[in-house]
Amino acid sequence: MDFQDLLLQQIINGLSLGAMYSLLALGFTMVYGIIELINFAHFNVFMVGSFFGLWVLEATGLIGQRSTLAGFPLIGVLLLAFICTMLLSGLLGILIERLALRSVRQLRGTAPMILTIGISYILYNVILLTVGADTHNFPNPIPVVRWQIGGAVLQLRELLVWSVSLALMVGLHFFVRHTRIGKAMQATAQDQEAARMMGVEVDRVVILAFFIGSALAGAAGLIFGLYYNFTSYVIGYSAGLRAFTAAVLGGIGNIAGAMIGGLVIGLIESLGGQFIAVRWTDVIIFSILILVLVFRPTGLMGLSVPQKS
Amino acid sequence: MVAPSSPPLRTLRDVLFEPVMRIPEAKRRRLFVMLLVIAAALFPFIDGNDGDIDAAANATAFATLALGLNIVVGFAGLLDLGYAAFFAIGAYAYGILSSYQVQPPWSDFWLPFQWLGLVGRIAGDGAGAVDLVHFTFSFWIMLPLSALIAAFFGILFGAPTLRLKGDYLAIVTLGFGEIVPIVARNTPYLTNGSMGLNGVAPPNFFGYRFGVDSMPYYYVGLAMIILLIFVSYRLKDSRIGRAWMAIREDEIAAGAMGVNRVKLKLLAFAIGAGFAGSTGTLYVAKLQTASPEMFMFPVSVMILVMIVLGGMGSIAGVVLGALILALLQSWFLQDLTQWIHAFGRLIDVEWLQEIELIQSIELIFGIILVFMMLFRRQGLIPATSTTAPLTHEQQTALPSRGEIQAALSGLGKGADLPPGTPLLEARKLTKRFGGITAVKELDLVVMPHQIVALIGPNGSGKSTFFNVVTGLDEPNGGQIKFMGEDITGLPSHAIVERGIARTFQNLRIFPNMTVLENVLVGTHARTTTGALGAVLHLPRTRREEAAVREWAMEVLTIFGNRLLPRVNHYAHSLSYANRRRVEIARAVAARPKLLLLDEPTAGMNPAETLELAAQLRSLADMGLAILLIEHKLNVVNDLADKVIVLDHGEKIAEGTAEEVHSNDEVIRAYLGRRATARV
Repeated sequence: MDFQDLLLQQIINGLSLGAMYSLLALGFTMVYGIIELINFAHFNVFMVGSFFGLWVLEATGLIGQRSTLAGFPLIGVLLLAFICTMLLSGLLGILIERLALRSVRQLRGTAPMILTIGISYILYNVILLTVGADTHNFPNPIPVVRWQIGGAVLQLRELLVWSVSLALMVGLHFFVRHTRIGKAMQATAQDQEAARMMGVEVDRVVILAFFIGSALAGAAGLIFGLYYNFTSYVIGYSAGLRAFTAAVLGGIGNIAGAMIGGLVIGLIESLGGQFIAVRWTDVIIFSILILVLVFRPTGLMGLSVPQKS
Repeated sequence: MVAPSSPPLRTLRDVLFEPVMRIPEAKRRRLFVMLLVIAAALFPFIDGNDGDIDAAANATAFATLALGLNIVVGFAGLLDLGYAAFFAIGAYAYGILSSYQVQPPWSDFWLPFQWLGLVGRIAGDGAGAVDLVHFTFSFWIMLPLSALIAAFFGILFGAPTLRLKGDYLAIVTLGFGEIVPIVARNTPYLTNGSMGLNGVAPPNFFGYRFGVDSMPYYYVGLAMIILLIFVSYRLKDSRIGRAWMAIREDEIAAGAMGVNRVKLKLLAFAIGAGFAGSTGTLYVAKLQTASPEMFMFPVSVMILVMIVLGGMGSIAGVVLGALILALLQSWFLQDLTQWIHAFGRLIDVEWLQEIELIQSIELIFGIILVFMMLFRRQGLIPATSTTAPLTHEQQTALPSRGEIQAALSGLGKGADLPPGTPLLEARKLTKRFGGITAVKELDLVVMPHQIVALIGPNGSGKSTFFNVVTGLDEPNGGQIKFMGEDITGLPSHAIVERGIARTFQNLRIFPNMTVLENVLVGTHARTTTGALGAVLHLPRTRREEAAVREWAMEVLTIFGNRLLPRVNHYAHSLSYANRRRVEIARAVAARPKLLLLDEPTAGMNPAETLELAAQLRSLADMGLAILLIEHKLNVVNDLADKVIVLDHGEKIAEGTAEEVHSNDEVIRAYLGRRATARV
C-alpha cells in the first residue's frame, strides 16, 4: 500500500474508533455539564456494557466468530443487542446515581470524585472475579463484506458502526434540543438553582443524564466488542482516558464538542499508530490532553463552560 | 435508683484508666508516642519471623507514601491519581544510578565523579573494547536526591495543570500515572523495559551491607516514617499548611486572602512527590529490582485508599490506614481465607471453601472507598477534633457594644499619600459577561480614611465591581489605581499584598478550619515563612508565628466576646452572624489600607447591625478606608462619608446620603418610574 492508501485506511479505522470514543465522551460531558463531576465510574460502565453486549448476543444463540447473519435477521439481532445493552447499562448508571452519588452531590472537594473511583474499582473487580482475567471472544454476526477503495478496504462492519453512532448522536441532539425534558436538562446545566425554581425536577434530570450517558457507554462497549472481536475486564481504562480527552478537546459540558472530539481522538489514535508507533499512542493522546488543558481549557470548540465558583 | 445528688457512678473504664488520665494531656500524648516508637523499634526482636518483618518493612514504605499523598490530597485538597508515578521516578533514579544498566564509555569527564565515589571504571576486556562507566551512587545520597528528582518532575507536570480547576488535575494525574510506566517500558536503554532493572546495589551502612535481609530496611523505613510525620506536623501548623487548607476549603477565598494559589499548590505537589521519590529509592533498594508493573494505577489507588481509610488530612490517620491495609494483605487475609475455608467445611458450603480473599483485595479497596465516602468521610482518625462546647455563661454573655477595645496597632499605617491623592481610583471600568454589561465605564474614587457606600438595586454591578477590583474578574476596559499604582489585572493575591482586602456577599469562610486559623490565613500576605522555615522552626519563624497569633487575637477582639471564646471552634459550627464577623476579622488581619465589605450586615438583626456599624466606624477611625456594599440604608446613612449609586452597571448618583436620597434618578431606579409619578 502506498502512502495515500494507508492514509485512507487509517482514516476509515480512525472514524470507527472515533465513533466509539464520541459515544463514551458524551457520558462524561453530560454528567459534568450538569453536576460538575468527573465520573470515573463511567470508565468501567463502558467495560461492563461490552459484557452486557456479549451476553445479549450469546443469549440470541450467536457464539464465536462463525455464525454470521444477513439481511433482516442481522438488523433485528443488532437492534435487539443495542437496545438490551443500552437499557442494561443505563440501569447500571441509574443504580450508581441513586445508591451512591446522590448523597454526595452537594459536597464540594474531592469526596464525590473519590466515590466514583471506588465504584469504578468495584465494577472492575466484580467483572474480574466473576468472568475471569481471560479475554472473551465476541460473537461477530456481521458477514465479511469488503469494498475496495483504491488500496484501502471498507468493511460492512465499519459502515454499521458509523450508522449506529450517527443515529444515536442525532437522536441525542434532537432529544436535548427539542424535547421538554431535554430543554430542562440544558437549563439545569446552565444554572441548577434557577432551573429548580422554574419547576425543573433536578433529581430527575440528573438521573436521566446518568441513564443516557451510561446507555451510550453501553452502546460504545458493544461497538468495541463488534469492532475488535473481543472484550476483557481491562478495556475501560485506556478507552475511558481517551474518551475523556475527547470530551475535554470538545469543551467539557459541550455535547456537540464531545462528538467531534471523539472523532478527532479516534483519528489521532489510528494515524499516530500508523505513522509514529503504537506503543507511544497513549503518550501522544495524553500530551494532547495536557496541551488542550493548558492552552484552551474551554476546548477547541471555544464555547465557554458554565463555571460554578 | 441513684439519688440525683450522689456522685456519678465510676465505670470500669474510669477505674482502669484513672491513673493514666491523671497525667496532663500533653505529657500523656508524648508518653504514648514514645511507647509506640519503642514498640516499633523492638518489634523485629519480639516477632522474629522473617516473613512478618519483611511485611512490616514493606508496610513502612507504604506509610511514607501515604504521608506524602496526604500532603497533596489531605492538606491541599488536590486529587492526585497518579501518585505512583513519582514513586517510580524515585525508584528508577536509584535503580539506574546504582546498577550496571547504563554504562557510558569512559572519559576524563567522569574523573571527578570517580573521585567522589559516585562512579566506577570498568576496564575493557583488552580486545579493543573501551573502558565503561559504572554508576555507584550511594543509597544515602540517593535518598534525598531522589526526593529532589521526583519533586522536579512534580513541578514539571504540575505547573501547566495546577492553574486549572481541581477536577482536571485528577484526570491529568491519572494520565501521568499511566504514562510513566509506559515510558519506562519503552526506554529499555535506561530501564531495561518490561524485563525489569536488575542488580540494584543494596545500601551500605559504614561497611555493613544490607543484603537481602529485611530487618535493616525496616529500620530505615521506620526512621523515614518518623521524619516525615515530624515534617508533616510542622508543615500543617504553619503558614504554609494553613494556606494549603485554605485552598482546599475555598480556592477563591484563599486567593482573595493573599494566598498565591499556583505557587502553594505546586509546593504541595512537589513535596508530596519528594516523599514518594525517597520511598521509591528505599523500595527498590530492598527489592533490588524495578519493573514498570510495580508502579501501575492500582498502586496509586491503594495509596489513596490508605489515606481515605485513615482520614484525609489526618497525619496519625493516614499512617494507621497505610499500616492496616499493607498488613491486611500480607498477614490477615491469608489467615482469614483459611478461617473462612474451615468455616465452609464445617457448615459444608462449597463456595465458602473456594473464596480467595487475596485475589479480591482490589474489590475490598473499592468497597472501602465507597463505604468511607458515603458513611465516614473523615476517616478512622479524623483530622478535625471536636472542641469543648461553651459554658452557659459564655453563651449568654452580653455582647460588648460600641468602641473597639483593642488597639490594633499599626492598622492603616502607610496610607500616607500626598494630600489629594485618592487611595483607590477606578477610571472607565467596564466588565461584560457575554452580552450583558455588568459594569459600564464606572469612575469611582475612595479617599484615604473615607467610608464610601456603594448602593443600588440587585444586579446593578456592585459585587462585580468588587470582583474586578480584587482581581477575581478581568475587566474588559478601564483602569484601577491603588495609591497611585496601576493594579488592573493583577492576580488577587498580589492585590491583597498591596493593601486591599475584602469579604464576600455569600460568605466564603474556610468551614473546616478554626476561627483562629481562618484569621491567621488573613495574615498570609504579611508573613514570609516558607516550607523550609516551617519545618526547621528557626527563631525567625517562631517569632513571626508568635507575632501573627498575637495580631490575630487582637483583631478578634474587634468583636469583643462574640468570637474570643470561640477561637478554637470550627468555622462551620458558628452562627451566621459570627461567620460574617470571622470573614471581616480575616480581612482586617491582612492589614489592609482599604477594606471592601460586601453586605457585611446581611443576616444580622437590628441590634447586631448597630453593633457592627459602630465597630466599622472605629476601624475607620483607626485609619482604615472602607468601601462597602450595603442594602440597609440606616447603616449607609450612619457610616458613609460618600454614597455612590449604581444602576445597570452605571453610576447614577454620587454624594452625601441626603443628596443621594433626594435624587430623582435614584428613586426611579429603586421604585420604578410609575412609583415616582404617583409620589
